[in-house]
Amino acid sequence: MSSAVEAGPGASPDQPAAIAAINVTKRFPGVLANDAVDFCVWPGEVHTILGENGAGKSTLAAMLCGLYRPDEGHIERNGLPVRLRSPRDGLAHGIGMVHQHFRLVDRFTVAENVVLGDPDQTRILDYREIEKRVAEIGDQFGLPIDPRALISNLTVGQRQRVEIVKMLYRGADVLLLDEPTAVLTPPEVEALFTTVRSMTSEGKALVFISHKLGEVMEISDRVTVMRAGAVTGEVATSETNQRHLAELMVGRPVEVDTRRGSATTTDVAFTATGLTVLDAGQTVVDNVDITVHRGEIVGIAGVAGNGQRPLARALAGVIKPNKGRVTIGDNDVTGKGPKAARRAGLSFVPEDRLGTGLVPGLSLTDNMLLTRKRGFFVDRKSARAEIAASIDAYEIKTPGTEAEARNLSGGNSQKVLLARELAGLGESGGPQAIIVSSPTRGLDIGAAEFVRGLLHEARQRGAAVLIISEDLEEVRSLSDRMAVLYRGRIALEGRTDELPFESIGLAMAGVAEEETA
Amino acid sequence: MIPFRFRLERRLERHWWQSVLTPLLSILAAFAAGAIFLLIKGFDPITVYRELFKASFTSKFGITDSLTIAVPLILTGLAAAVVFRMNIFNIGAEGQLYLGAIFGSWAGLALTGNLPTVLGVAVVLVAGAVGGALWAAPAAVFKAYFGTSEIITTLMLTFIALFLMRYLIFGSHSYWRDNEAANFPQGKKIPSSARFELWSDTRLHWGLVVAIAIAVLVWVIIRFTSLGYDMNVVGSSDAAARYSGIPVRRTVIMAILISGALGGLAGATEVAGRAYALDPNGLELGLGFTGIVVAALARYNPFAIILVATFLGGLRNAGVALQGLPGERVPVEVSLMLQGAILLFAIGGEIFTHHRLSVSRVAEAVAT
Repeated sequence: MSSAVEAGPGASPDQPAAIAAINVTKRFPGVLANDAVDFCVWPGEVHTILGENGAGKSTLAAMLCGLYRPDEGHIERNGLPVRLRSPRDGLAHGIGMVHQHFRLVDRFTVAENVVLGDPDQTRILDYREIEKRVAEIGDQFGLPIDPRALISNLTVGQRQRVEIVKMLYRGADVLLLDEPTAVLTPPEVEALFTTVRSMTSEGKALVFISHKLGEVMEISDRVTVMRAGAVTGEVATSETNQRHLAELMVGRPVEVDTRRGSATTTDVAFTATGLTVLDAGQTVVDNVDITVHRGEIVGIAGVAGNGQRPLARALAGVIKPNKGRVTIGDNDVTGKGPKAARRAGLSFVPEDRLGTGLVPGLSLTDNMLLTRKRGFFVDRKSARAEIAASIDAYEIKTPGTEAEARNLSGGNSQKVLLARELAGLGESGGPQAIIVSSPTRGLDIGAAEFVRGLLHEARQRGAAVLIISEDLEEVRSLSDRMAVLYRGRIALEGRTDELPFESIGLAMAGVAEEETA
Repeated sequence: MIPFRFRLERRLERHWWQSVLTPLLSILAAFAAGAIFLLIKGFDPITVYRELFKASFTSKFGITDSLTIAVPLILTGLAAAVVFRMNIFNIGAEGQLYLGAIFGSWAGLALTGNLPTVLGVAVVLVAGAVGGALWAAPAAVFKAYFGTSEIITTLMLTFIALFLMRYLIFGSHSYWRDNEAANFPQGKKIPSSARFELWSDTRLHWGLVVAIAIAVLVWVIIRFTSLGYDMNVVGSSDAAARYSGIPVRRTVIMAILISGALGGLAGATEVAGRAYALDPNGLELGLGFTGIVVAALARYNPFAIILVATFLGGLRNAGVALQGLPGERVPVEVSLMLQGAILLFAIGGEIFTHHRLSVSRVAEAVAT
């Protein structure tokens, strides 16, 4: 085994690593999140931590930036051991993390956010000076941003820039970016990569956390691949390819297969007609028509934030649409609430797992009861049997059926949610239709494949499935028909096999709007 | 520079014994704090505490008196627990108790004359529960529909209830006042058919059995019924409740009404078991507020509430007994002070069930 302090490929051996994790181990109850992990980044390089969800990437990053402390092993900065007690401590050592979920105050300006919590600021803030510095940093690294703009007026991509500027302003020269491209449009990704390159040319060390192979190959110098808490390989991107990385990541060849429904029926399972939802005066779902037949999967693709959430909620009865109708089978359930929709045979997997789909403070058993019909007394016995069976079938990692849902990892809580909502789907007496938002987000490849298999089987049994997902590949691999949602409107729709890939991409970016209208 | 650094870290695992240990340590810490006060005042804390326990928990009359005070405390403790566990803070059990006493004593005076005792007492209790629920209703509705803080509304309603009760006896010749009593204004006594029977020759009444039965009932509701389930969901996540179609407003209102009814029941048991009249002097004991301490120490567990209520009942009972100590009199407030200290330590100690304290040496070499 080579130690991480030795020179890796493409690195400069005469200087110490900007940051290194030496043999770090971190345990959480029932989970070995990081098992004797070695990792290092040289100044001026991009080093990616690649792995499926739950592989331990975020835990490693959290230890590098001071959010967690390793149970064993230690962190080195410029060759010297450091003990980071908090992210602020990390920042004091020049280590900054840009989280997937931004830590910004909406009602503050860019400049105010940049200095918020900065221990080096004097008591009286000189905003003219701060704004000048912010603009300078922006120019230097290709991060154009108006220091006086309010965060609430910025796009997601601009907010991410603010986060990066914030770290640079505080003098970070090790930056950790946690899945930075997940929320970005393709042009924004390109802009980010330009920034990343200008940062490395200034000698900054970049840690990039991702599971998207294409991007990883494009942006990184080296890649450390993790699986189940351990490092499965460290390679230079110049000496590898996507297939090899995928193998290291999943431990087996990835099979991307396309599945379509075999029996196309004309039985309408559920429909939305002219569905329109307003949120705070803004039209977020705009005159949407959807029909899903029995034995069919319909996919809704689109970049996040284009109306997927209100659309799903209006269809499932959680919110009342401002206009339009929803029917399930022969029942008009418009505005009648989620219980009416369920009685009519519709299951619903919402986008937010913990807190909406699952109740954080309740046990897994009790969470199984959330969408079940309940009498005067609740029937825990059958719920417990159901979750116990699901724990086996879905390989849910939990201390037991009575563990609180909040203690489960994202992937495992998603499995609990799916187990509940997919139960009996398409079987007689069970629900005949389902809306699934991001069915496999947060799942590892094996579990994602398992879930897709379940959705496919349900379709074969005659269930009607509506998938709303940001994962275009997922939509394309499963759906018989698909539509693209852009700014609350259906920008493109058709049979999945007949839609050219380029048109889908253009529709998602809003370019094809005029042509298809 | 301090050579040590203290940090609170979130506990990832929680054990059942931690939730028992914290209240116990809180009580010990409170007694330790009380000892400092006693020492300053020139008392021997060991003697005082020994007397305190002797008075409340060793003799037959001591124990039964402690249990008598425990009856309303169990009910006000349940009143707090039912909603506090949903993060709804009805701190107005005190006022709901007064209304329970007003309604209960009215029912006892007006309705129970010809009834057999069991039925008469039941009428008083039901009336008390209704009174308490009605008094909580405005807070419930405003909370559910306008998001008004129930902490403010229930507290304000408590003051209104307090002065309403005083007005009925001291300020007017109301139906509740014994207008034939010549001297000091007092409440009209309810007939014996509306009174709990006493146990043997003590002051303990059958209200204890009622209170324990209600504790079991509350446990069954929370643990086994759909209403209790809905309350758990709403308490943990509004969004999940809306997603599953649980009526959030209705559930919030129901929970606060149940809490109010329990507070009212406490007032009614006091009327039927101890005061036998609407008696402001005998009712203004802070039983409703103490219920909050009971619920917090019992960590909202109905069965633990019975034990904690008995313990705090004994503490209260002992306050009087302490005055009989030889030498300079120990102030009766000692027991109240201890009760307050216990709450403070219990709330303060709560953090240790979720977090652990880690102490580390500050190393010089860390800074770069």
